[in-house]
Amino acid sequence: MLALKELIRRRLQFSLIALVITLIAYLILMINGLGVGLNQLAGSALWKLGGNAIAYAEEAEISIIRSELGIEALNALKNQPEIDHVSALGYLAVNIGGEAEGTNLRSAALLSLNLDEQTTIEMPKIIAGRTLQSDNPEILASTEFLKDSGLSIGDEVLIQIRLGEWPFTIVGEVEAGMFFFQPTIFVDQLIWQDLKYGERVATTPIASVVLLSAENFENLEIEGVDIVSKKEAFANIEGVAGQQSTVAALRVFGYLIGALVVGAFFYVLTLQKEAQLGVLKAIGASSTYLFFQVMTQTILISLIGIAVSVPLAWGTAEGLSKLPTRVPVAFEVETFVTTSIILVVMGIIGSLLSGSRIARVDPIIALGQQQ
Amino acid sequence: MTVVNPMLEVTALGKTYSSGSEKVHAVKEVSFTASSGEFIAIVGPSGSGKTTLLAMLGALLTPSQGEIQVNNQQIERLSAKKRTNYRKKNVGYVFQSNNLVPFLTAKENLLLISTIGGVKKNIAQNRATQLLEELGLSERANALATELSGGERQRIAIGRALMNRPDLILVDEPTAALDSERGERVVRSLIKEVKQRNVLGIMVTHDLAMANKADRVLEMKDGFLNELQESNN
Repeated sequence: MLALKELIRRRLQFSLIALVITLIAYLILMINGLGVGLNQLAGSALWKLGGNAIAYAEEAEISIIRSELGIEALNALKNQPEIDHVSALGYLAVNIGGEAEGTNLRSAALLSLNLDEQTTIEMPKIIAGRTLQSDNPEILASTEFLKDSGLSIGDEVLIQIRLGEWPFTIVGEVEAGMFFFQPTIFVDQLIWQDLKYGERVATTPIASVVLLSAENFENLEIEGVDIVSKKEAFANIEGVAGQQSTVAALRVFGYLIGALVVGAFFYVLTLQKEAQLGVLKAIGASSTYLFFQVMTQTILISLIGIAVSVPLAWGTAEGLSKLPTRVPVAFEVETFVTTSIILVVMGIIGSLLSGSRIARVDPIIALGQQQ
Repeated sequence: MTVVNPMLEVTALGKTYSSGSEKVHAVKEVSFTASSGEFIAIVGPSGSGKTTLLAMLGALLTPSQGEIQVNNQQIERLSAKKRTNYRKKNVGYVFQSNNLVPFLTAKENLLLISTIGGVKKNIAQNRATQLLEELGLSERANALATELSGGERQRIAIGRALMNRPDLILVDEPTAALDSERGERVVRSLIKEVKQRNVLGIMVTHDLAMANKADRVLEMKDGFLNELQESNN
């Protein structure tokens, strides 16, 4: 095929184009990786917890910071036939330091677990140590927290809250991720009530929100409670919307620049080959045949660029994950697949410019004339 | 000269270009006939309209008036798609500067025509091998177009024009880029191919010495066509 032979025999020229496309694809992948990484920082814990919906106090307007739910709300949710499982979840931002003098303070997202309800809705997976004992000053720490703090199971820590210090023991490691850009730790619900409210009376809220496992939760109406999907809950985490729109804008610009660069390269190549295209048309090649050649080259060059940039981006993310400072770049297979498909499509869109030029080439130029 | 059962019949052909408010009549009232196996040279000064006439015969240009009939098919009013098909199936072009695809080998340049024409691969391969042999270029089959000499390139261009067994071979100044010895060899090859394959060959040239090798010489002057001489050969 003409397109392949040109690619092979004009290796240097096309290698340079492939290099530019590789760099653009790499840049776009890194932006997407940054988006995924930031999202993980913002709330990967939310996705790792069970359930498909979250109930908030109505007046909190889908803010976990402002939401407080009492036992009545929890019972009302439990009594809904549409809801299969519920689990109360408390949230509190805390500072944690080691018992030893001079230990650095770390911030963490403290979440509460209702130990009785753990069997009804999926909770973070314990990967080392043991689970919490009810009403004991114990914490389950996420892998991220242990990695960041250098603490390990069995260490004594101090949680600073309400101008006081509370001693705790790390009893287990959980695969829990991040919440509100902080590593997560888990305590028993009763302990969370003590930490947050300083007392346990009948009116003390038992959770910030309630995780639900329910079908058709959209149609549920419970007084004083707002039920939203996990996706909506995630998008409403403070700071996430702004962050997502920034990353999305960068991504869109990346794709547009990619399409423009690919389009410009192939357009210039088409201009350079105009005389040759005229001859090919004069000897019977149709515009469709010639455009197919350009399209094949665009797709192949884009695929080569992507094939090089994907392992490059993945390797960069791996390298960054080993740095002592957290750089929020992470990849999912979906990110690679989606980005690759979009880049090829944008390349094709870019090559349409060449297509229109090819259609306009008059075969009369083969005879050195203009009509 | 009138030809009995002509392969090509041109009647009152004209081409007018617009240049601003001015109209330029490049070809005026041209009529002639030609038959298969003939090799015709069209001579004339620059701007006389000979290349415009060639372009109309090859369906690269649409005439402003008149008719062109090739093997009883009217071609002057074909749609763009049909003109492309006509060029693909019926016309073989040899251009002034050969215009081979530079990144293809000599043989691939021949095969390209068959690919465009949708000819089966094995048939095309045999045809290309045969043409290279006949043109004395078998040993250069795998040389890139850029590695061929001017004469070799022009002979490959002739091979390319013959590849799809066209009825009509149109040749535009084939010797312009060659010295006289090479030019003569190229024209002789062309005439030989036209005679052997019984096709019609029409060559536009400035070179009267080359033109004289043709069966007939027609002269274009100010857009009009006149018969200069009949075959010397």
